[in-house]
Parts: sequence; C-alpha cells; structure tokens
Amino acid sequence: MITYPRWLDRGTGKEPVLRLLGIGNAGVNIADRIAVRASLPLETVALNSDQQSLNASVASRKTALGPMTTHGLGAGGDPEMALEATRESMSELRQSVEGADVVFLCAGLGGGTGSATTPQLAELARANGSLVIAVVTTPFQFEGRRRSQQAQEAMQGIARHADAIVHFENDRMAEITAPRTEAEETFAACDNILFQSVASLTRLISCPGPMAVAVPDLLGVLRSGGGAFLFGSGEAEGGNRAHEALEQALRSPLLDRGRLLHDARKVLVHLSGPRSLTFAEVAAIMQEISKNTAPTSLLHLGVSVARDDSAPLIVTLIGHCGTAAKIEAAAPAPIAEPVRATPPALFAEEAIQSTPPPSTHAEPKTATPKVKQEDLPLEPIARGRFEKVEPTIVEGEDLDVPTFLRRKLKK
Amino acid sequence: MAREKIHVGLEIGTTKVCAVVAECHRDGEMRILGVGESPSRGVRKGEIVDFKNATQCVHDALADAEDRSDHEIKGVWLAISGSHIKSFNNRSSVTLPEESTITAKEIESVEFKAKEAGIPKEDVIIHSVIQRYYVDGQEGVIDPHGMMGTKLDADFHIIHGVTNRIQNAIRCVREFDIDVEDIVVNSVASAQVVLDEQQKQAGAVLIDIGGGVTDYIVYKDGAVCHSGVIAIGGDHITNDLCIGLRIPIARAEKLKIEEGSAITDNISASDKITLKNDTGFSGRDIDRLMLNMIIQARLEELFGILRKRIQEVVPEHLLGAGILLTGGCSLLRGIREAAESVFPGTPVYLAHAQSVSGPMSAFENPQLSTCIGAAKYAQAVHSEMPEESLLDRVKGFFSGRM
Repeated sequence: MITYPRWLDRGTGKEPVLRLLGIGNAGVNIADRIAVRASLPLETVALNSDQQSLNASVASRKTALGPMTTHGLGAGGDPEMALEATRESMSELRQSVEGADVVFLCAGLGGGTGSATTPQLAELARANGSLVIAVVTTPFQFEGRRRSQQAQEAMQGIARHADAIVHFENDRMAEITAPRTEAEETFAACDNILFQSVASLTRLISCPGPMAVAVPDLLGVLRSGGGAFLFGSGEAEGGNRAHEALEQALRSPLLDRGRLLHDARKVLVHLSGPRSLTFAEVAAIMQEISKNTAPTSLLHLGVSVARDDSAPLIVTLIGHCGTAAKIEAAAPAPIAEPVRATPPALFAEEAIQSTPPPSTHAEPKTATPKVKQEDLPLEPIARGRFEKVEPTIVEGEDLDVPTFLRRKLKK
Repeated sequence: MAREKIHVGLEIGTTKVCAVVAECHRDGEMRILGVGESPSRGVRKGEIVDFKNATQCVHDALADAEDRSDHEIKGVWLAISGSHIKSFNNRSSVTLPEESTITAKEIESVEFKAKEAGIPKEDVIIHSVIQRYYVDGQEGVIDPHGMMGTKLDADFHIIHGVTNRIQNAIRCVREFDIDVEDIVVNSVASAQVVLDEQQKQAGAVLIDIGGGVTDYIVYKDGAVCHSGVIAIGGDHITNDLCIGLRIPIARAEKLKIEEGSAITDNISASDKITLKNDTGFSGRDIDRLMLNMIIQARLEELFGILRKRIQEVVPEHLLGAGILLTGGCSLLRGIREAAESVFPGTPVYLAHAQSVSGPMSAFENPQLSTCIGAAKYAQAVHSEMPEESLLDRVKGFFSGRM
C-alpha cells in the first residue's frame, strides 16, 4: 500500500499546497481559466516558450521557457527546438514545482512545448515528493499522424513519472457539442470540461468534509489502466438540486450520457455542497448512480462541505472505462503503471511503492459482459409525459417515474 | 336582490377548468345555479405551462357557466394549487399595557407579526389561518376580543406560494376583464364544503386527489394544523400505465377509468382485458393483475408519503373523523381500500360537497369539491366582514400583491 506524506492527514491542520502548471499554449489556456473563474485553493503557473501567450496570461506566476533558444517566439510545434528550450530552462522548471504538495500538469500534447516539457516536469515534481496528476489532451485525428505520434511519446514519458493521468481525447471532446455548432463554441466547451475536471479534482483533494476521499482511492480510480477516462460534473441549486446536479453530471458526453458508467469497474462520486446538504440527498444521488452502474463495480463516495452557505451542490463522477472499444485507434497504448525507478532520498521514510497491479483488476473481466445484458438502458429515465415539466421530488426520489419501476415490481 | 349574493368559484385544474355559480343566502345556505366545464389544456401538475391555451379553456368554462346559470360573471374566486404552495405554523405575541382590554387593533397586530415570518422573497402569503389564541398563557381562547390581559399570543397556520405562478393564474382570468376577487388554496376551499364543524373538531384529514396534484389539509380541534400539495395525481397513474403496459396515453386514461382498480386480491393470473385495435394501435390483451398492481403501487406510495407528513403533526388516533378522499381520482375503484391499507385503523371515506343545494349531479361529484368550495369560501369571507370594509380589504389585498 502507498503511504502518503503527512499533509494528507487532515488532522494536522496544515493546508496542502496545490499547484497547477499550464504548459504550452493549451496548458496556459487552462491555467488562465482556472485563475479567472474558480475560487479554488490553487496556485497557477504558466509555462510557455511563446512570450506573447505568457503576456496575455493571468496566471499568478509566469515562466518563459528557453528564451535564448526560441527568442520568445514559441517552439512552433518542433519537438527538437522545444526539447532544447526545456534543457535551457531546467532550473526554472525545478523552481516551479518546488514546495508543492500536489502538482497538476495541464498540457495539450502533440505540439512542441507541451509534449517536450510535461514529462520533464512530471519527473522533477515526482522527485520533489509531490503528488503528480497530469491532465492532458491528445490531438484530433485530422491533425495528422505526426502529431499523434508525438503525443503518444509524450504520454509514455509522463506515465513513467506521474501518479495519475487524466486523459481527454480531442476527438471525443468534439462530440460534446452538436455537429453544427460553431468551431469557437466547440473549443470553448472542450476547455470548459477540462476546467471542470481540474476544479473537481482540486475540490476532491483539498476540501474538508464529513467524508473525505482517500487519495489512494482517487488514484486507484484514475489509473485502473487503459480505456477511456470517464468524467461528469453537474451543479445545481434550489429545492431540486440533487436531482438536477446528477442529471447534469450524467449528461456529460464523456460518460456517453451515463451509458459508459456501466462499464466502469470503479467509480468515484464526489459531492460538494453547502452545509444544508442533507443525508437524504446524498442517499438519493447514490441510489440513482448505483442504478446506472454495474452491480459489480466499486463505488467510492466522498462528501465535502463548503464554508459558503450559498454554494451550489456539485456532483462529480470520475471513473475509468475498462475497454477501449469505442476509441481504439485514437487511444494510445495502455498507460503503464507509474513506476519510480529510484526512490529519491526524500521519500526514504515514506515508503512509497507503486501499487502492485491488483489481481482484482483482471478478475471481473469475464463477469462484465453478462452484467451488461441484464441491465436495462436506464437513460432516458421513463418519465413519459412528464418529460418536460418540473419533476416532483419528494425525499430525493423522482416521483414522476412510475412507482412500479422504482420499486422493481415483477412484471 | 340584496339578500342573496352570487359568488363564482373557478378552478383551473390539470384535467379540466370548471366554474361554479352559486347563490349564497345570508343564513349560510348556498344553492348552485350552474356549473361550467371545459377540458383543460396547457396545465400540468396544477400549474399553467401554456398561457394561451389555458386562457382559452378558462374562457370556455366561464362562458359555459354563464349559459347554464343565466348570470353574467363579473368576478370569480380562484382556487390555486401547485407544488409551490407550502405551509407552516407560526406563533406570535404582543404585549399590552397594564389593565387594558384586547381590541381589534391588538388582534390585527398579532396576525401581522405572525405573517412577518421568513418566507422566500419570491413568495407571497395566501392565507393566515388562526389556530388558537392564548391570553396571558391561558389556552383555548376562541375570540380574545374584549378580554383583559397583558399578553396575547396566537398560533397561525400560514400558507404561501410563489407570487409569479399565482399571478399567472390570475392573469388568465383577467384577460377577459373578469375580476379575481380573491384567491383560495385548493385544500382550504375543498374543506369548506366537504368537512363539517364536528369533523374539524374531532380531527380529520381531507385528501383531494386531482389530475395533476394532490392537495391535503389536516384539521385538529377545529383548526387547520397542516396543509400541503404533492404534485402527484391521476395523470401519474395514467402515465404509469402508459409506460408499464406500453399503450398510448389516451388508451391508458380510458383503461384506468373503465377497468382500473387498486385492488389486487382475488385476481387470477389469466384474467385479461382485451383492448380493441384502433388506428395507430393494434389490439392487445392486458393482464388485469398487472394493471391493478401498477395503480396500487402508485396509490400506496402516495398515501405513504401523506401518512408520513400527517404523522409529523397529528398522531393517527387523534383523527376521530378519519380520512376523507375527494377529487376526480377518488372515483377510482379500490382507492378507499388502498388508503385503508396504508392508514390501518383509521376510517377512510369517499366524500363530496355537503350542505349545499342545487342539482345533485353537481355537488355529488367529487371533481367539483374544490370549485364549490371556492364559492363557499367567498360566502364565508363575506359573512365575516361588514359590507363596507370588504371592498377596502379586497382592494388593499390586491394593491399589495400587484
């Protein structure tokens, strides 16, 4: 088992330092979004070889990469040049990860800077004793094979050092919006979902609550190996918030409207809400989710409570889909379990070992298809003529759904 | 002419819009002159979702009522429902100077204070019903007017709802230059005609199950102690049947009315109902057991929710007069048995409007309980108020709300 540095013990009272590094143009973009929008306990650092993009950034710290190599004009998608720039700025990179307990690395892979620098940063951060979570996107298929090749190489580099990789394929992200949506809107929607995922991971790690998510659980879900990353997040306020927030989360395209949850072996559910969040609401949400997941899947629940009473209820679903059937071509080779080559001296007393690939992972393989057949497609939930009207929610149950369905009376 | 006043009760329901024109005598007698009805469109769960259609239905119903009663309608008393209507009990108190008697002013101010309770800012108080007064801690004072005391407490039952939604219903009627004299919540209206004074004293629950919503009101010791709305009604049963039996909505509705029952005992598994084929629907055999099971499950759940809510305020053994079911859905076979199984030991009755005269078909129809009740409520309000102040009250009421 992994034992983690003591800051993760919530008893000590010391707030962990969470830092988000945005690398390359895409990464800086995400960092900006986070810096502007969220009231999250996150430090943002923008790293780029393109001085213009740095100038425009609103991140709290900015680091120019390889000013001598690129003259501040960016690497232009050239991996050689980017690598050169990375080498030049090694000491800056080291500084940027120093003192952080958790490091999020955000980058769009397939370009120059992001692909070259991110693996380096992952290595440095890991050596520093931080928990490293990479949030990366891989290029569209139409961007050509060379780019996806570069992305795959970078991905393997990152996987060697990062604790977990949250991987979004642009191809899948484009499905978020309708095919006729304007290009700009599509990109904004993609950015937004990246933003949401980072925001919810941050909340998950940092927010105190009656039922915190254990970091090993989170990592276990994030790196169950291969396949597609499932993510859904929804927020709502008002009397019907539990239902609405969950509905929104399930509607996430990355869950294929809730359908992919069936294939997930591990699902992490995180609820963050104001103090008025009731147990009945939590129970109702979990009940609804368990209807959408396979009976054999492992559910992790975390609940955190915001200090602000007006905070909305946020439901986050994170899972990993076992099979990569849907996206075979675009998916990179299954991510290797992060392996630490030589445990740095820093960690001597913390006894970090990589998790041995648990045998439980492989075992349900045979059972899964059987389970899938039994389950009815629960989406859309049968509300019939009440589809478009305000639902009747009593004690967290949607009473518009026929009673006999909810009680599972035999036919 | 001056002896009898004519009041019109209007309900914009989920299934139908109906208007009752009633002649009210000074001595409390009420006679129904005519009932106008129109099937409802644009209303879901007791609330207007399609303003234009709903307005048309209101027009049809009012025109029908005018025809049948031979009376030109100028103003109506509008019954309101919907899941946005909530209630709570509130106590307030005022302190009087030494050695003084309680006057109307103190009574007014104690009510005013009770209404100051925090309701959401988009809500408006529809009713504040007095439950009981206490004078210097003495319980059970019915009318403190003229009594000596230094402290006057009062318990009120406050019913409130979302202003905009109520406004929409009022605007529906105002479209035709017909005045809404006042509004009344469905459950309060129904209670006017379904429950009598003895039942209110003994403790009773009135459950009005309509097409879209279920309104309920609980009386104990002669006063309202709880009321509310659950947005479940007959439409839900129809919808359940439509999904469960895979038949079209119109078929499901017909099947519910003609064959549906909430009793599942003594039905053999081979008992089938044959639905004839129709355009767009090929005939089918329906399992009677399945049909009744779906209805029973829905009704038992509804009564289960009601029971939970009622138990919070009144223990069941104090409901001397038991449970009264009214509203269109109370016509469903076996509903009484379903309620009895959820409320064991409490008598359950099917009820309709009482103590009114007129065509039997009107007041014996539980679908009209609310509508007749709205007219009766109008009569009750008028009889309590001296003529001249009523106009001011109604005026003030609306200017405050607008």
